[in-house]
Amino acid sequence: MSPFAFVRFIGFAVVRAWQGFWRNAMMSLAATATVILMLVLLSGLFIVIAGLNSGLEFIENKVGVTARLLEGVPQSQREVVIAYAEDLPGVATVEYVSPEDAMLRLREAYRQRGQTLDLGGADITLYASIEISLVDPDAAAAVAEALGSRPEVDRITTQQDTYEELLNIIGVIRTVGIVALGLVGLTVLFMIVNTIRIAVYSRANEIEIMRLVGASDSFIRWPFILEGILCGLIGALITMVLVAIVWEPIQPVLVTVFQMPTAVSAQFLATLSGVVLGAGLGVSALGSWISVRSNLSAAT
Amino acid sequence: MIGALTRPRARVEAAADQPVISMVDVGMTYPNGKVALADVNVRIPGGDFVFLVGPSGAGKSTFIRLLIREQLPTSGRVVVAGRDLSRLRRRDVPKLRRRIGIVFQDFRLLPAKTVFENVAFALEVTGAAGSEIRRRVPQLLSLVGLQDHADHLPTQLSGGEQQRVAIARALVHDPAMLIADEPTGNLDPVTSWEIIQLLIQINALGTTVLMATHNQEIVNAMRRRVLALEHGTLVRDESGAAYEREY
Repeated sequence: MSPFAFVRFIGFAVVRAWQGFWRNAMMSLAATATVILMLVLLSGLFIVIAGLNSGLEFIENKVGVTARLLEGVPQSQREVVIAYAEDLPGVATVEYVSPEDAMLRLREAYRQRGQTLDLGGADITLYASIEISLVDPDAAAAVAEALGSRPEVDRITTQQDTYEELLNIIGVIRTVGIVALGLVGLTVLFMIVNTIRIAVYSRANEIEIMRLVGASDSFIRWPFILEGILCGLIGALITMVLVAIVWEPIQPVLVTVFQMPTAVSAQFLATLSGVVLGAGLGVSALGSWISVRSNLSAAT
Repeated sequence: MIGALTRPRARVEAAADQPVISMVDVGMTYPNGKVALADVNVRIPGGDFVFLVGPSGAGKSTFIRLLIREQLPTSGRVVVAGRDLSRLRRRDVPKLRRRIGIVFQDFRLLPAKTVFENVAFALEVTGAAGSEIRRRVPQLLSLVGLQDHADHLPTQLSGGEQQRVAIARALVHDPAMLIADEPTGNLDPVTSWEIIQLLIQINALGTTVLMATHNQEIVNAMRRRVLALEHGTLVRDESGAAYEREY
């Protein structure tokens, strides 16, 4: 096919697809609406999972093991414990927090809340502790157990529970979301297949004439495939507009609640738009291709 | 006008006496066991005008379906315009169909398109350029005498005029052969004769014409070659013949 002929073919197919879309407007719009439903669900899932993942990453950095030391552990003993901790697998850094440092932190925490720590003149000494950050958050349990068996250690605290909980929530949301998305995706596929089937039937006379006058298969098929893709494209564009509209209010939530640094970048919205467009076009193209294959396959 | 519509290709085929249609031992048995055609041998040279006659169910429709490769024979060989249809690749079928024009009893025009658009449609769907469409469609409408009806819808035309539009559409790719399946079946006698006159004119320009018909009057008056089918068998192949056997 020469370039001119190819351009004519594209023009022909696009014009026919557009006419076909409006010829069965009710059916096409219903299919487009299901595409929008699917893509809105996909966008929501994408945002929530990205947010939770980002929150998880934030906590991963915080997950560590804190070992409170017994009172009166001499410096030499302390150094032994620190050296022991540093040698444990999965440990990134080990930091000693003296009682004085702990007091400073407490005062700072009060100050950040706009209060002043008032001890009422009592002479309070906080516990000394060592804070261990981890390379791998999953090592927390093993590190905690090893340190807990040391005689110098009074008590162990970790943020492992928070981390595990979040991990579980993400897992559940991801599973439920993907199942829901799969079901809606199948509905979209069904709607597109049906829309194109009706389009094919309503143009049966034209298709027969096209065959008799020697139209090639691509001239017969592509307008219908494009008609289905048009449902996906329009659905994706509408969804992108909807997401852009709600983006303004939800962006700060993503940053504050999920500690999501990527939410501030335009990149995130661009990625989301790409996912929406790709999913919309992909599912609709698949649906119309299936429909054309099953409803026009008798073409000889 | 005539000069623009002459068919050098068809003339070469006619001059060389290459058959436009050749059927050798063709049989067609449907999956339910019904024998639609059996041992049909036909050779139609380029430029011929042939009537295909026979009672309903004799196999005329199957005969035509085999020629345009809507079906493949269960035995034998069908060659159209130099191509063995059994060996024709699927993607080459459209090219074959552009070498064969076909018209039907019920015209099969698109009701929402004008006369011009109906003829142009056959060019558009085969990827013709706009300039070619604008050049070719008026030529064909003049040939069939409808140059003044280009903007009419089919419903605004008489049956005879609608059939002329269908003929113009069938000729749009300059085919080697025109197949007319009962083209006068829905028309009154006077209009039928007008259509036959048009087919004779097209035949005179070099296009082979095969016309399936029940119209005895026309066949008897024309005295052309007649192929008669009965129960799927070719019972008569006679030149200058009548509708019924005369001996």
